[in-house]
Amino acid sequence: MTPLTAEETIAAQAKTRSEPAWLADRRIDAWRTFESSPPPKRSDEEWRRTDLSWMNWSDFHPSASQLTNGSAEEHLPVHLSAASIVLVEHGTGTTVTRVAPEAKAAGITAASLSTAASDSNQLVESHLATSLIRPDDGKFQALNSALWTGGVFVHIPRGVQLEAPIVILKTSNDSACYPRTLIIADPESSGHIVEWWLPEDSKSLSFANGSTEIFVNDNADLTYTHVQQWPSITRSLLSQHAQVARDASLVSTNVTLGGLFHKGSIKATLSDPGANVKLNGISYLDGQQFVDHHTSQDHKTTDAVSDLLYVNILDDTSRSVYAGTILVEQDAQRSNAYQQNRNLMLGSGPRADSIPRLEIMADDVRCTHGATTSTVDPAQLYYLNSRGLNRDDARTMIINGTIEPVLDRIPSTVVADAVRTALQEKIQSTSSN
Amino acid sequence: MFFTIVRQIIGSINEESPATPMTVANSQATLAIENLHVSVNETEILRGLDLNIPKGEVHALMGPNGSGKSTLANALMGHPAFEVTAGSVHFKGQDVLALPTDERSRLGMFLAFQYPAEIPGVRVASFLRMALNARRTDEISAMDFRRLLMEKMDLLKMDPKFANRYLNEGFSGGEKKRNEVLQLAVLQPEIAILDETDSGLDIDALRIVSDGVNQLRSTDLGVLVITHYQRLLNYIVPDHVHVIINGRVVDSGDSGLAKRLEAEGYEQYGDTTSEGTD
Ligand SMILES: Nc1ncnc2c1ncn2[C@@H]1O[C@H](COP(=O)(O)OP(=O)(O)OP(=O)(O)O)[C@@H](O)[C@H]1O
Ligand SMILES: [Mg+2]
Repeated sequence: MTPLTAEETIAAQAKTRSEPAWLADRRIDAWRTFESSPPPKRSDEEWRRTDLSWMNWSDFHPSASQLTNGSAEEHLPVHLSAASIVLVEHGTGTTVTRVAPEAKAAGITAASLSTAASDSNQLVESHLATSLIRPDDGKFQALNSALWTGGVFVHIPRGVQLEAPIVILKTSNDSACYPRTLIIADPESSGHIVEWWLPEDSKSLSFANGSTEIFVNDNADLTYTHVQQWPSITRSLLSQHAQVARDASLVSTNVTLGGLFHKGSIKATLSDPGANVKLNGISYLDGQQFVDHHTSQDHKTTDAVSDLLYVNILDDTSRSVYAGTILVEQDAQRSNAYQQNRNLMLGSGPRADSIPRLEIMADDVRCTHGATTSTVDPAQLYYLNSRGLNRDDARTMIINGTIEPVLDRIPSTVVADAVRTALQEKIQSTSSN
Repeated sequence: MFFTIVRQIIGSINEESPATPMTVANSQATLAIENLHVSVNETEILRGLDLNIPKGEVHALMGPNGSGKSTLANALMGHPAFEVTAGSVHFKGQDVLALPTDERSRLGMFLAFQYPAEIPGVRVASFLRMALNARRTDEISAMDFRRLLMEKMDLLKMDPKFANRYLNEGFSGGEKKRNEVLQLAVLQPEIAILDETDSGLDIDALRIVSDGVNQLRSTDLGVLVITHYQRLLNYIVPDHVHVIINGRVVDSGDSGLAKRLEAEGYEQYGDTTSEGTD
């Protein structure tokens, strides 16, 4: 028997998962786009400071992996134990491990993306990879569109307000994974969604390439928190794009703790007046970790507010790149756009690059941006020492002080607590070596 | 020198031999500073300063700008920029100069700073709770701490909102000073140095903060008040007043000395500029 071509493999896999024809076609198209599009070059502004020499583009083949079921929720962070819905995405399959009665009664859909597509969910067909993250955005996005398995679909219907978070736990027993998440918050709805990439059960994961699309419709109010805790061998990429409509608000937080290499492309489009977006970022790096965040605050319309705060804590010889674009289009009068990047260096080994980019085409705009890079201030240490705190405790307090203003911006206490705990574990593990 | 140096050394500290239990018993409760020489960036600021502050007493230290008052305060607390080149400081039978700053604090020493540092992202309440726990063997419960903090804030007529503010960030000058005294009240040290805690306080705040300090006055607390103004000493009446010129204590007396200084200034002590005296 002659081996199947890549396209034949994709089609066969889609069939195994009972995916509809439109999805199989989109996967094959995405694969073609992946193969035909040029790899990122160091001369592209987006990749200027990001070394991709470890990438071997010809390494990627669709594989005939078997469907695996998600494992139990044992790795659910303790502060999220009151989650309303938990989805566990392990290997190639996604399992819904719990749905609180009120979430079920409210008609919330939280499911494997693949299953939702097979159930001929119209929203999936119209929203998945059609507008926010498309295969022609770039080679990584195309690769994800072709090869994602399992995936997560969350839909909060009109007017439904859910306080307890919806939690997505992602692990992988493979050497590569392609997380894909689609979130749609209908008008007047609200909720907190947490996506947690876990190191447990992911020991051999060397490559992760995720995409998340978020639609926040009129008057909806959504919190999306992403925590990346991959094991230390993982190189990971993440494309996130949220669209925020009239009088809707989104608080999006990206917490980057794990992995060897992480590249996040984080974009928010403010599509209608009254849109309000907070973009938060916390990266805590040690060893030789490298993290690159490119953010984009895209004001397409008048009277919208975007406010970004990205904090990097860097130890050892870690490196960060923060590149933030504020784009205010010509008609987007009375836009307010803020951008702050703060880097705290815990020694002389790390390096942080900060590159703001402003493209302001409207004239009635309030826009500020700033970047600071500092070390632990000896005057602050002395002050805390003088109150009886020892060197380590004082230093930890100052590090936490850098992070706390970001956690303050997360509207859900339990989510903020879960993130705080994950950060404390990382701080403890770095200060003890 | 044509002026009198009043020295009030309690217990005799012999540099040759270690202190005997008897002298230690006597000097234990005293912050004993002897012949202290301190340099900053190779420049000598304190040039043989002697001072003793027994527990239960309030001492005032007055002197011209640049005479070394804050240098003394920070050298006592162990600021890394201040190099002690000679002399000794003892408290509770311990060689203070051998201890790092945090241990001096836990030994019972406290400095209310002239210019308190701002620590963004660290809330007053959580900071104070950690600081208090650092000096206790058992951790104070969240409820007991809250009660203690509110009681002390009330004593200083502080808005409870300050408990949740970030430490000194965006505080006005007067609010920072009041926050220093709040920490003094919560941490309950045995020796407190107040470095110009009165400057930046309005008239009402000055009275409130002074009342607060007076309420903390006890046989268990020794206080060194550094100030430029006699006005403060009307509220916090000192047991002793000392004059520092060019890094040395050149005069000591009772509270009448402060009034005399107010009227006559420091000229009576000769050239008070630190230049060219080496
Ligand atoms: N870090 C430093 N580097 C250089 N010189 C210093 C430093 N700190 C203090 N000095 C100098 O030491 C001298 C004493 O300063 P200090 O702050 O102790 O004075 P002070 O008596 O507290 O004055 P003031 O009444 O103005 O507060 C001054 O001449 C000052 O410029
Ligand atoms: Mg001073």
